[in-house]
This record gives sequence, structure tokens and C-alpha cells, in this order.
Amino acid sequence: MVLKTNVFFIGLLLLISSSAFAEKTYTLKFASLIPADTAWMNNIKDWSNELQKKSNGRLKIKIYPGGVMGDEPDVLRKIRSRQLQGAFFTGYGIGRIYPPARVLEMPFLFQNTEESDYVRKKIMPDIERGFQAKGFELLGWPEIGFLHFFSKYPINSLEELKTRHIWLWQGDAMGEAFSQAAGVSPVPLSIMDVYTQLSASHGSIDTVYNSPFGALAMQWHTKLKYASNVPLTNGIGALVVSQRFFRSLPKDLQTLLKTTGEITAEKINVDSRRDNQKSIELLKQSGIKFLWSWSEDEKQQMINIRDQAAQTLNDAGYIPEKHFEQVRQILQQYRHNKNTNK
Amino acid sequence: MKKIISRICFIWITVQLGACSIAELTVKASMPMIEGGMVAMNRETDLQLAEAAMPANIELMEGMVINAPNNEDLRNYAAQAYYGYAYGFIEDDNPQRAAAFYRRGLNHALYNLQQSGLTQKILSGDLPHLQLKINALDDDNVPALFWAASNWAKWIDHNRDKPEAIADLPKAVMLMQRALELDETFFMAGPHIFFAVYNGSRSPMLGGNYPLSETHFDSARKINKNELLIVDLLQAEYLDRQKFDQIAFHNRLTRIINSSDSSNKDLALINKIAKRKAQKLLQKESEWF
Repeated sequence: MVLKTNVFFIGLLLLISSSAFAEKTYTLKFASLIPADTAWMNNIKDWSNELQKKSNGRLKIKIYPGGVMGDEPDVLRKIRSRQLQGAFFTGYGIGRIYPPARVLEMPFLFQNTEESDYVRKKIMPDIERGFQAKGFELLGWPEIGFLHFFSKYPINSLEELKTRHIWLWQGDAMGEAFSQAAGVSPVPLSIMDVYTQLSASHGSIDTVYNSPFGALAMQWHTKLKYASNVPLTNGIGALVVSQRFFRSLPKDLQTLLKTTGEITAEKINVDSRRDNQKSIELLKQSGIKFLWSWSEDEKQQMINIRDQAAQTLNDAGYIPEKHFEQVRQILQQYRHNKNTNK
Repeated sequence: MKKIISRICFIWITVQLGACSIAELTVKASMPMIEGGMVAMNRETDLQLAEAAMPANIELMEGMVINAPNNEDLRNYAAQAYYGYAYGFIEDDNPQRAAAFYRRGLNHALYNLQQSGLTQKILSGDLPHLQLKINALDDDNVPALFWAASNWAKWIDHNRDKPEAIADLPKAVMLMQRALELDETFFMAGPHIFFAVYNGSRSPMLGGNYPLSETHFDSARKINKNELLIVDLLQAEYLDRQKFDQIAFHNRLTRIINSSDSSNKDLALINKIAKRKAQKLLQKESEWF
């Protein structure tokens, strides 16, 4: 009888000790507006698999793609209320976390991705600190790509642009500043409503902006006929998790999340740039006509509008002047070095 | 000498023409066998037997297509067979192989549509022009429209990482829209099932429309007198999942698994497939919700 009790006791002890040493698992619920199974989101899926494998199952990502968790402000709210722990945000969402980061999205600033890559790397430590101060850990910086206007009607001048019903992502301070400076009256809508409004025979909008791949992946192109030749800007993006979640992780998992997040973002950039390039051709094949190549005068006119908007954003404290100035100086230095090395 | 040569040529041409006609006539005469084979396959209750038999049927049809490339019915059956085999037996375990079969099915159906004026040039041209051409197709084109759209949509679904595949989606939708307009009851209300999935599998931001998806699922259920389990399966897989409605997802799939066999013999195989897929989907419940 004593023997039986001892065996039971030892068994119980083993059970207790094994559960005490069982390692805690962490699930990162991650939302994105990007449609599922695109090359873009497949990188996130690969990231999830990598994390699970390298952490021996202690860290995994549960992905909510294609806007199923709502528009970016909804996702932000869900992160703050702990329903989600992380997300991919476009410049619009980034502006609700740390607006000065959107200096990288200032229109007509970068001529190509080499320039934007160079400047981004230089100012990234500042941006990371800015995100941390707002309760977010920045893991990577995958871009959306160069944004173009897409319209149901041909747009060949600023005057024609002013006559259009242009979508504005509701509450986007940067879009508002530019609209005001350009003298256009945009129609504020959630991105959730864009497709429906474009589809309606008397919808409230007839002109939108997106990357070529974005227009294709969201099927907006089926409702539109024209696009602008000159891109507005290189749309930025960020992979983030809440600081609360990040700090709850053991040190090794924090490092794993950061390093793999950064690599994932770089992979996304490669795919995104390739897909955007390919999408321009596919959009043309589907009947979209790319119009409006700017004259030198028009280019200067647009830059003036940009600077006027930058002033408004500075006055509002959204993007303080010093950030814009810093970026301009780095860019100037880069162009100078490039010309010197030629 | 000239006379002899022309006579030989004449005989040779006549023999060739005759041979061609004989092959085509043989295929035509065999069509009831193919049709009977399709009916028998739909009534098969043993999934293993169906899975083993399908490749031979497909190969037989491919052989017949070589002899009679313009036999429209044969091409449509081949497109249907590829779709059925890929969806029922391949795609859950080997999506890449399934995608290749959907592509083959698509090619057969597109061949038929090309004979009706929907040339490759039109298909790869701009969308408004394609729409005009599709609008001109009539009742006779419904099978080709339906199987082209079905195979195409599935192929796109397995290739969503390629922008060129995404760019094809509106074309598949346009073909199926025409099939829906011409015959909403075709292949067990297939056009309704297509649009139920199309509207239910995407968030509203991407053009999804949940109420419209439900309407199409209801129409499909009504036309099939509530006997086609695949309707419920797809509603759980796409709409319930998209809406994060775990209870509906779970209950719907459980109902499929527990349902008794339909009295409609022609639904035997597809309902068996639905039951097997329902079990597989239930295993994903904790991952998806």
C-alpha cells in the first residue's frame, strides 16, 4: 500500500514539474489590408512558419489578411484593446502612430527606389524611436510602391484633376493638406467603401490613388479607365507589433521577431517592386490608359503644391519642418555623391 | 503522266478526308458512352473507385479529342472532368497539380469559346471589348462559359501570387456572369454557387458582398432542393470563415457529416466528396478562428 502511494506521489511530482518547465507559447495576431495569397502576403506566411520553426513552436503568427479586421484605424483600435498584437500599416496607419515617419512619403521627393532606400536607412533609427515612444515596435519597412491616380475620366492637367471626385482616405492629414494646397475638393471615405463607390452607377468618387499592383489586387481597375503617368509618391508601409506584446516576449524571441521581421520586409520590397512593374503592363493590357506626362512648368507647379502642403503639415505639428529638412539634406548629399562618383 | 499524278492526289485526298471523317464519326458515335460514363461517375458512392477511375476516363477523352478536336460536347466533358478530378481528389493535398489540371480544363472550354468568336486576341485584350463579345454568346455556349469560368477561377485561386493571374479574374467573372444570365440552373445551379463564393470569400474592401453571397447560396439550395451538400460546405468554407462566424462554420460542417444519403442518385459522388471535405475543414477550425 505504501509502495502504491509512493508511486502515485512520484507520478504526480513528475506531472507537476513537467508542466512547470513547459515553455510558454505566444501568438501574434496580425492584420493586413493586403489580400491573402498574394506574393506580398505569402512572405508574411513564410515569416510565420520561420518564427514557429526557429522558436520551436513558442512563437506563432495568426494572420488576418484582406482587410477582414477592418480599416487601419479599426486595426489600430484592436491592437490597443489587445484583440490584435500587430499589423502591417500603410502610410495612412503610420500617420496615426508616428506622423513624422510620413516624411518618407512626401510627394515628388524621390526619383527612384535607390534614393528612398538610402534616405530611409539613414533616418530609420529616429523613426524606430518614434514608434517606440508611441507604444509600438517597428519590425520592418515594406513599401506599397509608387502611387498613381486612377480615374474613370481622362486627366491631362491640374485643372482637369480639380474637376474630379477624388477619394481621400478618411481622416488622412497628409491627403487633406495636399488637396487643400492643390485646390481640389476630395471625398473622404474609408478604404472599405472605395470598391462599392466605384462600382455604383452614381458613386461619390470617380478618381482614386493606389499602386499599380494595389489597383489590380483590389480589382479597382475593373471600374476605372485611366491612370496618371507620373507617380505621386512611393507609398510607405510598416510591420509593427505593440510594445506591450513585444516586451512580454523573452529576450531571444524579441531578437528573433526583430531580425526576421526586417528580412521579411526586405523580401516583400523585392516582390512588391517586381509586381508593381508587371502590373503596369497588365493594367495597360486590360484597357487602362496611362496619361499626363508633366511639362517642366507643371512639375514646378506640383513641387510648389508639395511645399505648401509641407508647411501646413508643419504648422499642424504633423510632420515638423526639421524632419523634412533632414530628409532633403540627406537626399541632396546622396545625389551629390552619386554625381561626383560618376 | 500528269493525269496519273492528279488521280493519285485525288485518291490520297479522298482517303485522308474519309479517314478524318471516320475518326470524327467514331467519336461522335461514342459520345453516348462518354455521357453514360459521366452519369455513372456522378452516381458512384465509393470515393476510392471514383478516384481510381477518373484518370482513365480523362485520358480516354483526351484521346478522343485528338481525333475530333472540334467536338464541342467532348471538350466540355473534358473540362468538367478535369475540374471534378482536381477539386474532388487532388487540390486538398497537391494544389499545384490541381492548378495544372484546372488549366487543362480551362483550355478545353476556351477552345469551344474560340470557335464561337472569343479569340485569344479578344481574351487578352481590353475588358470592355471582351464584355461586348461575351454579351453576344447565347444558350449554346453555356457549358463552355461555365466550365471555362469555373476552371479559370480555380486556376487563379491557386496562382494569386502572380499579378497576371489576378488580372485574369475579371475575365472569369464576366464569363460566369453570362452563364448566370443564360441559365442559372446549369450544373446544379453552378453559376449561383460561383457567385456565392466570389462574393463571400473576399472582404467588402476587396469587393466582397456578404448579403449577396447569402442570396446566391440560398438560390443554389432552392434549385437543388436542399440536397446538394457542397452548397453548405462552400458557405462554411468561405462566407462563415470570412465573417468569423465560428458557430455557423462548425454547425454547418457537422450537419454535412451527419446528413443521411440523398435520394437523388446523381448527387451521390459530389455529396460524398462534400462529406470528406467537411471533415478536413473541421480540422482547420482552431487555426482559422
